[in-house]
Amino acid sequence: MGKVAIVKFPGTNCDWDVLHAVKTVSKLQSEVVWYKEFQPNGWDAIIIPGGFSYGDWLRAGAIAAKTTAAEKIAESVEKGTPVLGICNGFQILTEGGVLPGALAPNACGRFVCRWVKLRVHKPKGPWLALVNDGAELHMPVAHAEGRYVISEEGFKELVSTSSIIKYVSGWNPNGSAYDVAGVTNPEGTALGLMPHPERAAEDELTPRGFRAGGRVIFESIAHSLKKGW
Amino acid sequence: MPLTSEEINEIKEILGREPTNEELAMFEAQWSEHCSYKSSKALLKLLPTKSRYVVLGPGRDAPAVEIFPGVLIVFKIESHNHPSAVDPYNGAATGVGGIVRDILTLGAKPIALLDLLYMGDPEDPHANFLIKGIVKGISDYGNRIGVPVVAGDAWFDKSFNKQPLVNVACVGIVAKDKAVLRGPAVNDEIYLVGNATGRDGLLGSSFASKPLAEDVDEDVAAVQVGDALTEKILIDALMELIDEGLVNYVKDLGGGGLATAVSEAAAEHDLGAVIHLDKVHLRHDLTPAEILTSESQERMLLAVPQHNVEAVNKILDKYDVPYSVIGHFTNDGRVKVYYKGVAVAEVPAKELAKPKPVVRPSTPPQEALKALTTPSSLPPMKDLREATLQLLTSPNISSKKWIYEQYDHEVGNRTVLKPGYGDAAVLRLLDGTARGVAVKGDGNPRYTSLDPFNGAANVVGECYRNLTAVGSTPIAVVDELNAGNPEKPNHYWYFEMMLRGIAWMSEELNVPVVGGKVSFYNEDSRGVQVRPTATVVGVGKVDDISKVKGMDFKGHGSYVAIIGYTLPELGGSEYLHRIYGLELGQIPKPKPSLEVKHAELIRKLIKDDIVSAVHDVGVGGLAVALIEMSVTSGLGFNVDISKIPSRAVGRVDELLYSETQARYLVEVEPSKIDLFKDVVNDYEVAYGVIGRVEDSREVLFKEGVKELIKIDLDLISDLYLNSLHRRLEGE
Repeated sequence: MGKVAIVKFPGTNCDWDVLHAVKTVSKLQSEVVWYKEFQPNGWDAIIIPGGFSYGDWLRAGAIAAKTTAAEKIAESVEKGTPVLGICNGFQILTEGGVLPGALAPNACGRFVCRWVKLRVHKPKGPWLALVNDGAELHMPVAHAEGRYVISEEGFKELVSTSSIIKYVSGWNPNGSAYDVAGVTNPEGTALGLMPHPERAAEDELTPRGFRAGGRVIFESIAHSLKKGW
Repeated sequence: MPLTSEEINEIKEILGREPTNEELAMFEAQWSEHCSYKSSKALLKLLPTKSRYVVLGPGRDAPAVEIFPGVLIVFKIESHNHPSAVDPYNGAATGVGGIVRDILTLGAKPIALLDLLYMGDPEDPHANFLIKGIVKGISDYGNRIGVPVVAGDAWFDKSFNKQPLVNVACVGIVAKDKAVLRGPAVNDEIYLVGNATGRDGLLGSSFASKPLAEDVDEDVAAVQVGDALTEKILIDALMELIDEGLVNYVKDLGGGGLATAVSEAAAEHDLGAVIHLDKVHLRHDLTPAEILTSESQERMLLAVPQHNVEAVNKILDKYDVPYSVIGHFTNDGRVKVYYKGVAVAEVPAKELAKPKPVVRPSTPPQEALKALTTPSSLPPMKDLREATLQLLTSPNISSKKWIYEQYDHEVGNRTVLKPGYGDAAVLRLLDGTARGVAVKGDGNPRYTSLDPFNGAANVVGECYRNLTAVGSTPIAVVDELNAGNPEKPNHYWYFEMMLRGIAWMSEELNVPVVGGKVSFYNEDSRGVQVRPTATVVGVGKVDDISKVKGMDFKGHGSYVAIIGYTLPELGGSEYLHRIYGLELGQIPKPKPSLEVKHAELIRKLIKDDIVSAVHDVGVGGLAVALIEMSVTSGLGFNVDISKIPSRAVGRVDELLYSETQARYLVEVEPSKIDLFKDVVNDYEVAYGVIGRVEDSREVLFKEGVKELIKIDLDLISDLYLNSLHRRLEGE
């Protein structure tokens, strides 16, 4: 069995939602861990949920990325522990250099909360284990700083080494370069994405015209922890 | 508003001596209109406040209803009109902060926010700046604290160009056995937790209790500044304190600051208190009077039994919540205030907390006659297709997507029926059952300014219908009365009539008004009152969220039916306003007994799966309501308006755009149409099956065989969904 840590920083606000999804969909043991009390040992996977750590002061994720907890999470990634960063969690992972690129303010200048359609390219690693290449997933985004920025060379490298989750053409809500919504590290163990899979894990929460595309991520981690990846 | 000489004499009488500066500051804050309701108290007694669901009515920081056995919903509304006119971003943001803290006082977890915004013409430069600031303020604050903004109301009218009305409501949930329903006990420690006290918002309640200055810069220091991060950790820490049952009482420091919080806490529980101002954690160097009345945000007062002090400190330390222990409750009924060991104030809590009500004279103004203009003088009809298109671009009708997409309306994983999909939002309880709660807020400044009594009654009716249309049973409402200067009888008349309208209608609908707020002095520098506006937020119980109905058509071939008859009621309508520039006439009559009967029918039709979509007919009338059902589904329709049950209607536009109350549109699958007719006939309700949902990409209104209006669905969708965005962003 696997145990999943959900690391909460001051200002994190999706911790409970992620816990709900991990418990009901992944059916794994899971706990919300306050960042000061986080110890990396004993966890089989780690999730940094969304929210506004430190009120988004400076830049989204910038302060949380400098905490001891974030450094320990980065070390866990090195050791091969699966780590998922959702929304602000993705921002923390890019700020900490765990994942490439950066997340800049949305092109429209406004916070955007809406459902979008995504396509997964070359899925790998524990979080995307059950996702087919080219699969279309639907989830909502909710962020003000989600415009993915990366250099041309950086993107080329990303394409050749990692999984990329892209907004389907016409669904890019924030002006992200190359329509990038989420990326993994080359190993696939760390995944960061702006859309919220925990809000798209149940049909009950899925509006007309969309499918619950976050579910497969929580099923994948359960599957991966059970069989090893 | 400074104390009057009469009030100062009264204070001298209470104290039996000259008051100190600190005492005067305390009385000024507490006796301000904002905190004391001195101009409204006598009339507020008219509101029905009881039902079998009500656990806690008005009086505490927030009321509570027991929506399901053992499950309390705590909800309340508040206005931040004055601050939002001066500093829209911070004014609106702190409104959210304040209302959330009110919900926290009962130990409830905030699960939803609503915003009711009455703002200026989106294309007016100043109004545009205010609109963007207000929405961003709510967005930044609500999003950061992780409470979804799920519903509300938005209205645009040039009369609000300089002075918008910003009402926000919060809904919380708590198990009855965890709720903090007790009060402080003698010797409980008084904790001041959260933000450090500073100079911002000094005498903010007094500021809100007078008209705005001509030069708003003078008032900027009275606007509080919000810090959503502090509020968020305050919420997290409080949830843990309450879960562990460590505190006896929680109170928000809102209007009137520390002075008000301590005196109300003591007075309401027949206690006294001793506080030491030098123990308060400060941001600025403040005088004792300033510490007492500062309205710095994100602060709360806790009553902690002495044996829990250690455990409480541990949790506050864990979350890095700043706090100070500033005194304790006593049994002598007096609030004693010390600063560096010196007594600076000593007042009897009860007299401080409760000034004498003021009886205000009330007379109807001349302009109220506008509401009596007979509609026989209706201007000749214009092209109906054009009129419909023009209505759809009205910011009062077109989609509020530009607003609600800036709010994280999904955080919390509860939002089952989301903004834009139905007449109300529905949140699941997430307690392992299929139960949920529906929430909606409404207002109509045109109705209430034309006819405050019937207008306010219609607002209650509209909220009741919205809650019903999604499949819930309305349980209770809270109201906010945004009125002018209570010292002016012509302004006060509107307040009185709105209040009476709400009281009457809620009594008739058997939906108690469990709490509310009054905002006076909404007048401009020339003394003209801002449109008197009553807003209502209601909650409904949902037994099974899988039965919740959106307004979207589900499939082509279905029948479209209307419940309730239509009257020639174009007075005060959006149609008259948009197409003819007229704002007059008798507004639609409230129809309480039909509302009750139709709501029962709608609930039956939803419960038995006879209808697949339900939509209330509101502003813009039947034509707009039908089009909304089309736009949300991408399916067209073909209706014959001669099949609409009506009385005394002489013109086609009256059928299409009248805002007659107590009407619903429903979609019925072909296989259920006979059953539908049987059930509706059993209820003896007027109805008409007026047409079908079509696969065509167009909407078609006919009168018999005559084609009246035919419009392409893509055009309609674009106008409906994007007009507000275009007006605001100029794109």
